[in-house]
Amino acid sequence: MPALEEVKPNWAEEVELEGGSLPSSTEVIVNGQKIVTEYKFNEDDKKVKIVRTYKIEKRIVSKSIAVRKTWKKFGESANDKPGPNPATTIAGEDVYMQFISSKEEDNKPEDEGIDKLKTLGDKNVVKCRTCGGDHWTTKCPWKDTILAGGKLPDDKKPNQVVGQSGPGVEIPKPGGSKYVPPSLRDGGQKRPDGANMARRDDNYCAVRIANLSESTTEVDLEELVKPFGPIHKLYLAKDKQTGLCKGFAYIHFKFKPDAANAIARLHGHGYDHLILSVDWSKPMSNQ
Amino acid sequence: MKPLILHGHERSINQIKYNREGDLLFSSSKDNKPNVWYSLNGERLGTFNGHQGVVWCIDVDWTTTKFISGAGDNSCKLWDCETGKEVANIKTMSSVRTCMFSYSANMAVYSTDTAMGQHCQIAILDVRTLDESISHQDPILRIPISGSRVSSILWDNLDETIITGHENGEIIQWDLKVGKKLNSIKEHDQLINDMQWNKDGTMFITASKDHTAKLFDAETLMLLKTYKTERPVNSAAISPIAEHVVLGGGQEAMEVTTTSSRAGKFDSRFFHLVFEEEFARVKGHFGPINSVAFHPDGKSYSSGGEDGYVRVHNFDSSYFEYNFDY
Repeated sequence: MPALEEVKPNWAEEVELEGGSLPSSTEVIVNGQKIVTEYKFNEDDKKVKIVRTYKIEKRIVSKSIAVRKTWKKFGESANDKPGPNPATTIAGEDVYMQFISSKEEDNKPEDEGIDKLKTLGDKNVVKCRTCGGDHWTTKCPWKDTILAGGKLPDDKKPNQVVGQSGPGVEIPKPGGSKYVPPSLRDGGQKRPDGANMARRDDNYCAVRIANLSESTTEVDLEELVKPFGPIHKLYLAKDKQTGLCKGFAYIHFKFKPDAANAIARLHGHGYDHLILSVDWSKPMSNQ
Repeated sequence: MKPLILHGHERSINQIKYNREGDLLFSSSKDNKPNVWYSLNGERLGTFNGHQGVVWCIDVDWTTTKFISGAGDNSCKLWDCETGKEVANIKTMSSVRTCMFSYSANMAVYSTDTAMGQHCQIAILDVRTLDESISHQDPILRIPISGSRVSSILWDNLDETIITGHENGEIIQWDLKVGKKLNSIKEHDQLINDMQWNKDGTMFITASKDHTAKLFDAETLMLLKTYKTERPVNSAAISPIAEHVVLGGGQEAMEVTTTSSRAGKFDSRFFHLVFEEEFARVKGHFGPINSVAFHPDGKSYSSGGEDGYVRVHNFDSSYFEYNFDY
């Protein structure tokens, strides 16, 4: 910047000086940095100190550019001091150049494949290789019985998916077909996890405890339900971010009488500062 | 990179241009004062006060002494760059849409709109002596345009021909000695918003509303390359040091509020000059980009947008290290 010897304060500052309440702005140049300190009142009539730091750079340029650097400002900028005026020149936030690789476009055909599977909708995408029914081979109820590759007569074909989770041995699919995530296999209908769980644990006795206080932990819960009998599984709903209890929990007892006992005793029981509500865990309505 | 945001305009930017050395950046907008900035630190050198309407077009000569601007107030003005004083004022019959100095700056050209019962016409001025007399002199040459109006203009680098881009997508090359059409092509379907030279003036790039930018050979007007996007292209520039082009565009201003806006519509988009493939984007503007320009040293570029800001970007090292895979 052309370093002018004396810097006249502009009219806005003069007014402030007359008020006498604000210290005048200062400019200090220390090791290659210009530090400008200004004072002004903000909307709440509070004094605000603004410190701007500029880096002073020396560049060797051609003569014509150097001459242009000494040009006087004109027009609307005629009263600006040397250096950028913060009213018109703002240092922007960092932006990054996003490089695009052409590989991104190669993904498109794959998406189409998934879309095609989705459009198959409710048609039987799943086919058991043992009996030909519409369930997974590993879940075939005939798995351990006839198997041997022989096809079942039509009337014996099961229509319902039976909720037995066998020891899942994945048999590799015939080559050529692409991998499709399970959530997309049956026509894109995603089955909520809760439903799966309820089905899997049918022979246990699930109890739902609601109205738990935020500070409840799994240890507290265990202490609460242990006296009623052996427990198969215990699930306390927690907030993902805060890790605090969301207010309800599921307990899977090993024996039904224990569960019934627990419901009878704990329902309406005061716990922490809240009154618990305990009932059988109901399966999802769509199951 | 940290862009410098130049906020000297109250309305959307129409055109930005660097001078030959790239130390100054000129900008014009729909408000009536073109601005000039130091491109290095974003300091505003001044404003050219005098127009009463939209300033559609600006240009600066190669010595950075003369500045020309064309506006919607039916005038074309010539200015002294150093002082920002208006030197000459040429009254026209309709608004001035394009203007440009010839390379030698002995001549300047401007074109007027088809409006108010007036036909579009191109006029060539003698601007060897920059003084008041230019206001009254008759143009050296007037070329009336009977068809579609001129929407962008370029001088060739020997001052002998001009190339005009038209509202209907046509590109015409004119011989100035006789004032006749030399050559014409119609490769675009819609209005050509902008035309810019490459560094040595052998090729130029057009930006059109038909969602493409195209590269042409300057002498034969042969179509060389096409850069396709999915929205109108308002401006395109060719890097002086790399085989890159930058396109700026976006939805039309009037459609922004009526169509769903998705992030990423208003990016500057970088294409490879030869392979016509997009390889990078830079975000920043809150509206369509109306004008882009490369610094003559190729190490920075600027964009002016519908949001009224000019953003000056200095490329990071990642840009220079980037190798296009092919």
